[in-house]
Amino acid sequence: MTFEYFVFMLLNGLSQGMLLFIIASGLSLVFGVLRVINFAHGSLYMIGAYLAYSLSATLTDGSMLSFLALLVAVPPAVAILGFVVEVTLFRRVYREEHLLQLLLTYSLVLILDDVVRVIWGGDPRNVARPDLLAGSVDIMGLALPTYNVFILVIGPVIALGLWLLLYKTRTGNIIRAAVSFPDTLGALGVNVSRVMTATFMLGCWLAGLGGVLVAALASVDLGIGMEKIIESFAVVVIGGLGSVGGALLGSLIIGVGITFFQLPFGRWALVFPYLVMAAVLIIRPWGLFGKPER
Amino acid sequence: MNWIAAALVLILLVSLPFVLMKFGKIGEYWVWVSTEMIIMGLFAMSLNLILGFGGMVSFGHAAFFGVGAYTVALLMKKASVPFYLALAAAPLVAAIAATIIGWFCVRLIGLYFSILTLAFGQLLYMIVFQWYTFTGGDDGIHGIPRPEILTPTNYYLLCLLIFVMCFMLMRMIVNSSFGLTIRTVRENMERSKFIGINVRSYQWLNFIIAGAFAGLSGGLFAELNRFAQTEFLHWSKSAEPILASLVGGMYSLVGPAIGAAVLMFLKIILQQAHKALIETWAIVLGCILLLVVLFAPSGLVGIYRKVFSKSE
Amino acid sequence: MAKPVLEVVNLSKSFDGAQVFNDISYTVEEGELSSIIGPNGAGKTTMFNLITGHLVPDRGEVLFMGQDIVGKQPFEIVKLGMARAFQRTSIFPRMSVLENVVTTIITREHGNLNMFKAFRKRDKVYSEAYELLKSVELEGMAERQSGVLAHGNQKRLDIAIALALKPKLLLLDEPTAGMSPEERKQTVELVKNLWERLDLTMLFIEHDMDIVFGISQKVRVLCYKTLLAEGTPEQISANPQVIEAYLGEEV
Repeated sequence: MTFEYFVFMLLNGLSQGMLLFIIASGLSLVFGVLRVINFAHGSLYMIGAYLAYSLSATLTDGSMLSFLALLVAVPPAVAILGFVVEVTLFRRVYREEHLLQLLLTYSLVLILDDVVRVIWGGDPRNVARPDLLAGSVDIMGLALPTYNVFILVIGPVIALGLWLLLYKTRTGNIIRAAVSFPDTLGALGVNVSRVMTATFMLGCWLAGLGGVLVAALASVDLGIGMEKIIESFAVVVIGGLGSVGGALLGSLIIGVGITFFQLPFGRWALVFPYLVMAAVLIIRPWGLFGKPER
Repeated sequence: MNWIAAALVLILLVSLPFVLMKFGKIGEYWVWVSTEMIIMGLFAMSLNLILGFGGMVSFGHAAFFGVGAYTVALLMKKASVPFYLALAAAPLVAAIAATIIGWFCVRLIGLYFSILTLAFGQLLYMIVFQWYTFTGGDDGIHGIPRPEILTPTNYYLLCLLIFVMCFMLMRMIVNSSFGLTIRTVRENMERSKFIGINVRSYQWLNFIIAGAFAGLSGGLFAELNRFAQTEFLHWSKSAEPILASLVGGMYSLVGPAIGAAVLMFLKIILQQAHKALIETWAIVLGCILLLVVLFAPSGLVGIYRKVFSKSE
Repeated sequence: MAKPVLEVVNLSKSFDGAQVFNDISYTVEEGELSSIIGPNGAGKTTMFNLITGHLVPDRGEVLFMGQDIVGKQPFEIVKLGMARAFQRTSIFPRMSVLENVVTTIITREHGNLNMFKAFRKRDKVYSEAYELLKSVELEGMAERQSGVLAHGNQKRLDIAIALALKPKLLLLDEPTAGMSPEERKQTVELVKNLWERLDLTMLFIEHDMDIVFGISQKVRVLCYKTLLAEGTPEQISANPQVIEAYLGEEV
C-alpha cells in the first residue's frame, strides 16, 4: 500500500466513523441521562433517512439549497417523533426494572421498522447528492468524493457543538449532572423530566441527522437501522456507555477499521466491530472511557 | 390430579391430527399449523430457561434456532446424512455455538448482556447471509429430503414426542439443584456470589442448555418447512419467544409454549382475515409487547407469585 | 487461641486517586468476637469488600487461614470458609424464607451442578435449613416469601444465610442498622448467642457504641485512612486519640 493510498483510505474511514459518531453519540447521550438503552435509536435513524428520501423526491432540483433544507427539516422532524415517544411511552418506565425498559424499546423497533416497510417498501432508495457535493476532491492524486469531505467537516462540527453544549452551557451542566448524580437532581430544583425529554429529543435529532447524511452517501434499505444500531452498540461498548468522547473514539476506530478491513476481506469487514467489541469486553468490560459499575 | 390433567391434555394432543385429517386439505393445513405451534413452543420454552428462570434477557436466541435449522439442512442436503442423525446433531452444533457466544455474553450483566446477545445474533445472521457457497446466502437451502414415513400426521406426532421429552427434561433441570441455583442467581446476583456460587459458570451452562434446546427446535422447523433460510436467524425471530414468554408467563415452564401457540393462532387468524395484514405482523407483535410492558407487568409478577408459592 | 484466621498486611486502596486506606495491618484470631468502628465514610464497608474479594486492594496482602486470597473471586473465598451478611440486607426476595437457606446449603455442599436430582427430595438439607431458621428465630415464617418480611426479620435471614455456609469467619456489616432499640437488643443477644454456641470467629462493623463496647473482645478504629487504634473496649474508650477523632463528636 502506497502512502497516498493509505491517506486516502484513512480519510475515507474517518468519514465513515464521523457518520457513525453522529448516530452513536445520540444513543450514548440518551443512555447517560435516561439510563435506558434505546434499541429504537437505529429505527429513528432509518426513519430520518427515508424522510430525507421522500422530501428530496418532492424538491427534485438537486441543488445545495434543497439539500440544506433536508438537513434543516428532517432532524427536527425525527426529534418531534422522539418527543411523542418519550412523553407517551418512555416516561412510564423510567422507574421500572431494566427488563421492561428493554422490552419497551424493543417493541418500538418491531413497530417502527415495520411501519417503514409498509410506507416505503423494501426497495433500496437514495438521495441524489447536490451538485456542489457531487464531485470529488484530489487527495494526492486520488479522488475522494466531496461528499465524504463534507461529512468529515460536519462530524467534528457536531462533536464540537456537543462539547460546547455539554461543558459550556447551563443545560449541559444539568445534563452532565444528570449522568453523574441521577438521584440528586430533583433536589436541586431542576425539572428532571424536562431535561430527560430534551436529551431524548437531542438524541433523536442526531439520529435524524445521521439518516439524512447517509441517504446521500449510500443506498438506504430496511436493514440499515439494525446495522447501525449494532455498530452504535459496538461504539458505546468500546467507548463506554454515556461517554460522548468515548463515542467519538469508538466511532473512529470502527469506521477506519472497517474501511481497512475491506481491502483484504471485502464484505466480511463488517465482522470487524464485533472483534473489537469482543476484545474490549474481555480486557476492559466497561469501555475505554467508561467507569466500572460499583 | 395434576397428572390426570396432563394425561388428558396429552391424549387430546395425540388424537388431534387424526381428527383434523378427517377434514381434508383444511385439516392437513391445521396439522401443519399445530406442528409449527409445538416447535415454536419448544423454542419459547428454551428461551425461557434463561429469560424467566435465569433472568437473562437475550435478544439473540434465534441464532441457535437458525444454527439448528442450518445444521439439519446442510447435513441432509450436502452430506446426505439421514434425518434422525441430522436432527440429533442440531442441538449439539447449537450448543457449541452457544458455548462460544455464551462465554462472551455472560461476562456482562443486565443491559450489556442483552446488547451483546443481539450483536452476536446479528453476527451469525451476517455470516450465514454472506457465506453464499456454504449456506446459499439469502436463497437459503431448499428441498430438504423428507423420510417417507414422516407423513404430516407422523411428523406432528414425532414433534409432539420430542416436545414432551424436552418438557420432562427441562422440568427435571428446573427442579434440580442446578435449577434452584440459577433462580437464586436471578433473584440476587451479588448475594449469590457471597454464598459461594460461581455465577458466570452457571449462567454460561444455562445459556448453553437453552441454546441446545433452541437448536433442536430449529432443526425440527427446517424439516417441517423443508428449507432453511436466513430469516430463521434474524433478530425479529428472537422477538417471538420473548413475546411468547411474556404472554404465556415467564415464570412457569409450560407458559411460554402456550404463549407461542396463542401468538401463532393470532398470526393465522390475521392471515386469514386479509393477506395484506400479514405484512403488519411485526407491528401487531410490537403493539402486544408494548401493551404487556405498559399495563400487565404486575399481572405477570402475579402469575409468578402464584406459581412460586405453589410448586417451586 | 492465638491462631490467626484473618491477617491483613499493609493494605492500601484508592478510588480515582483518592486514597481510602493507607498501609493498614491487623490480625483477627481464631474464636475472636471483634469489631471495626469508625466515622461515616471511613471505609468500613470498603474494608469488608476488600477482605471478601469484591474489591481488589492496590497493595498489601489478605491472608485467610494462612492463605493469600488477594485476587480470588468472592465465591472462591466463600468456599474457603468466609461468609458475610450485608448492611443493606441482601436476600433472595422472591423465594421463601426456607428456600433462601436451602439454596445456600446446597451451594455449600457443591451439589448444585446436579441437574437430575430434584433438590426438594433432600430431606437432610431441609431439616438442616429448618434448624438454622430456629437458631435465628425465624422458624415460624419458613414458608413466607422472604421479600415481604419486616426489615428486622430480613436482617436475621441475611445472617442465617451466612451461617448456612458453616463459615470459619463471619463478617457482619452493621447487623443492627435500621432497627428499633428493642430489635437492636434482640439482635445483639442473637449475635452473642450464636458466637458462643457455634464456635465462630466474628468480625463486625457497627455504629452503635453501646453494642460495640458491650460485646466485642477487641475493637479496631478506622480513621484518617489508617487503623487509628486497636484494643479492648476499655483501652479504646480511654484512648485520647480515639476520643478526639471519633467519640468526641458523638458524646
